[in-house]
Amino acid sequence: MAISLEYVVKETTGNLWRNRLMSLAAVLTISVSLALAGASLLLKQGVSTATSQWKGGVQLLIFMHPTATTAQTKAVSNQLKSLPEIKSYFYMDQAKSYVEFKQLMANSPELVQSVTQSQIPPSFRVVLKNPNDAPSVGSLFQQQAGVKDVNFNRGAINTMLHVTSIVQLVIVALAIILLISASVLILNVIRVAIFSRRREVAVMKLVGATNWFIRIPFMLEGMIQGLVGALVAVVAVVGIQALFEYVVAHFQVAVLSNFLVSSHDVLMTELFVVAMGIIVGTAGSAFAVRRYLEV
Amino acid sequence: MIKVDRVNKRYKEDQYALVDCSLEIDRGEFVFVVGASGSGKSTLLRLLLREERPDSGQVWVAGKELASMPGWKVPFFRRNIGAIFQDFRLLPNKSVFDNVAFALEVIGKSKRHILTQVPQMLELVGLHDKQDRFPDELSGGEQQRVAIARAFINRPLILLADEPTGNLDPENSWSVMGLLERINRTGTTVLMATHDVGIVDSMRRRVIELDHGEIKRDQNRGVYGLGQQSS
Repeated sequence: MAISLEYVVKETTGNLWRNRLMSLAAVLTISVSLALAGASLLLKQGVSTATSQWKGGVQLLIFMHPTATTAQTKAVSNQLKSLPEIKSYFYMDQAKSYVEFKQLMANSPELVQSVTQSQIPPSFRVVLKNPNDAPSVGSLFQQQAGVKDVNFNRGAINTMLHVTSIVQLVIVALAIILLISASVLILNVIRVAIFSRRREVAVMKLVGATNWFIRIPFMLEGMIQGLVGALVAVVAVVGIQALFEYVVAHFQVAVLSNFLVSSHDVLMTELFVVAMGIIVGTAGSAFAVRRYLEV
Repeated sequence: MIKVDRVNKRYKEDQYALVDCSLEIDRGEFVFVVGASGSGKSTLLRLLLREERPDSGQVWVAGKELASMPGWKVPFFRRNIGAIFQDFRLLPNKSVFDNVAFALEVIGKSKRHILTQVPQMLELVGLHDKQDRFPDELSGGEQQRVAIARAFINRPLILLADEPTGNLDPENSWSVMGLLERINRTGTTVLMATHDVGIVDSMRRRVIELDHGEIKRDQNRGVYGLGQQSS
């Protein structure tokens, strides 16, 4: 007693076509909300790569020359140990820094290939007791032998993190509200579909069609709406990412220069978007079927 | 085939649809259920289709006890029961053929099975030449015959008919009754709720009369009203 594929396809597409305007509204709401959710995820991933060097409250970066001798490195390390303003620090050797570099530049494979591990500067990551000491402590090392550069950009980084977290919160809240309205829309589309087919449903019950046989076309209808909405959102997310890369590349936004999203992150975001679309569509229709289809 | 044992059913407090109702119907019987509107005829049929559950008592149909039957088994149970109604319950946007085929389609029968069974059944009800018509192009009697074809396509053990002639003129009523009789002769138990005095009186079959939810009369070869009992 297999459910015939032909029957299910016929029923589902028939329902979708009958309620096409409502279906379109549900699909568009899902695409907008999922595009927002996806963009917000990309933003989060971008910020996290851009600020990865500053993870763990690091306020001061001391880059050594790639050619710095062990003695020179040791001298810097000893001096850091002796300074009372310093809470903690750690050393990123060339191997670790190279790994980090590859992550940061994941979207520029030609750059990654042209740079070898021996060209990467190792660095000290320093956490200060008082972040305001960063310039004064940094200047102590600026002229030291073997030191290439000192970086204490914490203020800007902080602002960026702060702003993005607020932006992200707003986007996520908006996406959640839209997702809820999308599931309500789908619920309503399915309710109308059930109502317009009540004669068929009554006859199906009478002649002994199983409950799942009656339910599946309706549930599938909601799932397809969710899926189509998600696919539109997938395209939108790729577009948003391309737009962002264009802005970063063409307007030389300095603070965002490391703001890159790897293709792996994009893929994961897209998968998330598709999964959410299917979940929202199926949940909306499942609820409608439970509520309005007494089988 | 059907056994109703001390069944009570009420929809509202103090408003009984069936009161302590017991009856037994054997395989192959043709039984009329008569009584005024609201006497419990429809409730009885709904219980037998497991569209309702009794408040107390047991309902046995085709060897199954319905009051305790879990919901997921109900569809499989209903495949052994055919049912027709006063309002035919045909699908207006499907042709005669598709209306009958629908009953097989939704229980997962193969296309081949449908293509052999449906024409046979339409032949039986005398509508094989109208299989591409739509219900609103047919007379009431023809529509009811389509409904009978749909109800009988699975060769059910029992056919329940809820006032099948209620919307039909006498001529069409008789053609439907002839069909029900033929179906009954194949061994199918037929239970028919009706208001039609003429039909009950001339068919001379078992009559069960309900009155305010109670069985008032159960006689073999009966007639509609007690007062008309002359032979």
